[in-house]
Amino acid sequence: MELINYNDEELFQPGHVACAGCVEALSMRVILNTVGRDAVATVSPSCGAVICGAYPFSATKIPVFHTTLESGAASASGIKRALLSQGKPDTTVLCLAGDGGTYDIGLQALSSAAERNEDILYICFDNEGYMNTGGQKSSSTPLAAVTGSTPAGKTTRKKNLIEILAAHRIPLIATASPSHLNDMAAKVEKAKALRGTKVIIVLIPCLPGWGVADNAAVKTARLAVESGVFPLFEVEDGVHYTLNTEQRTQSVNSYLAQQGRYRHLSAEQVEQIQADVDAEWQRLLWCAAGR
Amino acid sequence: MQQPPSPLWTNASSRTRLTGTWRSAMPEYQDKPSPCRGACPVAGRIAEWVRQIELGDYYGAWLTLVDNNPFPAVAGRICHHPCEGACNRQQLDETVGICSLERFVGDMALAEGWCFPEPAAAQDQSVAIVGGGPAGLSAAYQLRRRGYRVVLFEERGQLGGLLRHGIPAYRLDKTILDGEIQRIIDLGVEVRLQSGIADAGALRALHAEYDALYLATGASRPKTLPELDYEQPWVQDGADFLAATNAGEACELGQRLVVIGGGSAAMDVARTARRLGRSVSVLALEPDALLPAQPIEVAEAREEGIEFITGAMLQAVESLGDGLKLQCVRVDFQQGETRGTFSVEPVSGSGFVLSADAVVPAIGQDADLARWDGLLDSDGPVVRTDAQWQTSRPGVFAGGDLASMDRFVTQAIGMGKMAAEAIARHADPLQPGAVAANGSEVPFAEINTDYHPLAGRLQPGNLEVEARLRTFDEVQHPLAQDEAIAEAARCFSCGTCIYCDNCYFYCPDMAIAKLEHGYDVKSDYCKGCGLCVAECPTGAISMGQE
Ligand SMILES: Cc1cc2nc3c(=O)[nH]c(=O)nc-3n(C[C@H](O)[C@H](O)[C@H](O)COP(=O)(O)OP(=O)(O)OC[C@H]3O[C@@H](n4cnc5c(N)ncnc54)[C@H](O)[C@@H]3O)c2cc1C
Ligand SMILES: Cc1ncc(C[n+]2csc(CCOP(=O)(O)OP(=O)(O)O)c2C)c(N)n1
Ligand code: SF4
Ligand code: SF4
Ligand code: SF4
Ligand SMILES: [Mg+2]
Repeated sequence: MELINYNDEELFQPGHVACAGCVEALSMRVILNTVGRDAVATVSPSCGAVICGAYPFSATKIPVFHTTLESGAASASGIKRALLSQGKPDTTVLCLAGDGGTYDIGLQALSSAAERNEDILYICFDNEGYMNTGGQKSSSTPLAAVTGSTPAGKTTRKKNLIEILAAHRIPLIATASPSHLNDMAAKVEKAKALRGTKVIIVLIPCLPGWGVADNAAVKTARLAVESGVFPLFEVEDGVHYTLNTEQRTQSVNSYLAQQGRYRHLSAEQVEQIQADVDAEWQRLLWCAAGR
Repeated sequence: MQQPPSPLWTNASSRTRLTGTWRSAMPEYQDKPSPCRGACPVAGRIAEWVRQIELGDYYGAWLTLVDNNPFPAVAGRICHHPCEGACNRQQLDETVGICSLERFVGDMALAEGWCFPEPAAAQDQSVAIVGGGPAGLSAAYQLRRRGYRVVLFEERGQLGGLLRHGIPAYRLDKTILDGEIQRIIDLGVEVRLQSGIADAGALRALHAEYDALYLATGASRPKTLPELDYEQPWVQDGADFLAATNAGEACELGQRLVVIGGGSAAMDVARTARRLGRSVSVLALEPDALLPAQPIEVAEAREEGIEFITGAMLQAVESLGDGLKLQCVRVDFQQGETRGTFSVEPVSGSGFVLSADAVVPAIGQDADLARWDGLLDSDGPVVRTDAQWQTSRPGVFAGGDLASMDRFVTQAIGMGKMAAEAIARHADPLQPGAVAANGSEVPFAEINTDYHPLAGRLQPGNLEVEARLRTFDEVQHPLAQDEAIAEAARCFSCGTCIYCDNCYFYCPDMAIAKLEHGYDVKSDYCKGCGLCVAECPTGAISMGQE
């Protein structure tokens, strides 16, 4: 059995108000402790902002600057430049945001920062919806998933943000999952050592938003990885793809069946989603082979 | 003077908010028993010693093993291993090869010459053990290590009981048996060979000299078939046949043997005879599927060229000048309600004849109860004992084949251990009783199999059939060291913490504290989500109620 081996320096503190069993808090713990003390973070309005702490409480041992939903990447860029002019080039600037603040409302700022290759480490906690405001759909919500604003299931596919980001040819884009904590820590470590814009998208099964049991978010995330719904991979310089899990060992249905938001699916819909995942997996293999 | 904090900055740690108040249930570390342990006749701490093998701590594994059983190399060869039948892992792929792992450790201990730890300080009391088979030796070991003076009386010239004169060398090499017995004697057990305790009078006299007695004389009287004249030179009982072969005596029986019986002893007789160059047929009442022998024994016997005539019965034997004619008939075999009981009905018109030179019946043995008449009560075919293995005579305890119909080596060893504990309590009522494992056995559903990838069992190989028929070399090969580690790694460690830190790392609330040995739940912060329990690979934590 592979042991988890990052070093927890208690940079993330208990007493935060994430839901019981929330793997966004769990991921925050891994990321903050891996980045270390010499760091400043921004956080956009999102569950992440709540977890970091609302005034006057803070669950982090590093400074966190709360931004607007549109301006996460722009604010992080500004902080990085200020640190550079203070002669602190090695301080990591983390930009923490949800999927709403990344795929939709903050996309313009992120694209601009990526185009300028600002030296920031952008973490998108992708819970596939506007969850902190009660669970509305975002452009990251997958096909057929029920949210507060798609009660019969979303009719369009999840936006492929990675391809958008790849088009910017930034040094590193990676996916990470709270079921694979060593992989997550390794990717944070790698990103921290690179200069330029790095983006890590972390899949966060949202307990109330997805209809997942309090103790089952890690399991759900693991099934997402093992079924190929959310493959673990890296894209370097926008073109070099590396798959971190080379095999799929679970059906898509085993992943969908964990979640209330897919309870209404017909067998045909499940088949269609499986076919989409198959096609996307083939494309990834193809990308990875061509590097 | 300290500056007042700037009102612009968050300055209070979230630590002041005690999220433990959200909780309705809190995890508990329990170290629960594994199902294999519950099924093991010596209640061995299997999850623990298998883990020690995985970590390369072979000596530690051996010490854990011999806490309950001084015969791991013997048990690792011939135990009927009910542990494997209860193993949780079979619900994922295949059972863990517990028995072959036990042999691995037992053999290593013999090869390395490991000795038992010194016995505890000498106690005043002394105990006499009657019978030097596995039950008697197990009790002797458990009492001696607790510091009692132990004197062992054995009727024969050598110790071991059926391990020595019953079980053939191709299943249990006698140097292995010698090694494990010698280690027990080296603890300071006083052995009196050729010293049978003949009858109730002798037993009474012995009891006068000792604080307690343990009686483990086994089941030595063969059951007999009325159809057979045991006086004839062409009849030899299976137990005598095996004892003679085990003692290295030449076999006087003719070329074509018919072995009667379908149990393990019959298989041993038949396979031994094959190794002595005889052609062998087994005649059993039971149909193939109901043969009482282990399926693996039957399969190996078939590989060795033994013919099986099942669902049939001997009716009469005709001795001609140049051999025997065995009159047989097919039977309708019906299993009874309780184990070992059955009825048979001959099928009319189905008679047939077998030609042979000798007949070896191996249909079981009874305990010799008449010896103890007037002193010890019996309970059907065995000596009566209570839950503490004490006989009707206070201070006299009994076990093994003499006191039970669970006729297996490790049952005898387990009974010897339990009686030793009871004798120690009898000698000193202030002794603490055996510590019961806490909680109920861990079910498969509590194992997170995501941490246990599919991996088939590593079966040790067998000697090729040709080589088997030429010698009495052991049939089953041992596991190599790398194989043993790989097989041990398949164990889920059901209910036993392996200090993997998963619970610590998977808590989103930093509510698990790592202690020097183990973990603690910080009740101030635990929200009761249960992620630690869900991500524990061994089922060592569960959610408690609050
Ligand atoms: C052929 C055969 C094969 C078997 N194979 C297996 C197997 O593969 N696996 C398994 O688990 N079980 C097997 N068994 C069963 C197993 O051997 C017995 O259950 C076990 O040996 C019982 O142990 P025990 O100590 O009660 O008796 P025994 O092993 O019979 O030992 C009794 C001892 O007491 C001595 N003794 C008897 N009377 C006196 C007296 N009056 N005074 C002093 N000493 C006395 C005897 O000489 C003997 O040494 C087999 C049995 C047979 C017959
Ligand atoms: C421009 C703007 N529109 C709406 C909001 C209200 N709002 C605050 S948080 C939030 C949800 C953000 O969703 P996401 O980024 O996915 O984070 P999550 O809550 O899911 O963690 C919204 C809509 C806002 N703060 N700013
Ligand atoms: S997996 Fe290991 S601990 Fe669990 S029942 Fe099987 S042998 Fe015992
Ligand atoms: S993971 Fe943490 S918060 Fe959840 S039940 Fe376990 S100790 Fe409590
Ligand atoms: S998760 Fe690992 S460390 Fe925690 S109780 Fe289970 S086995 Fe022990
Ligand atoms: Mg979101």
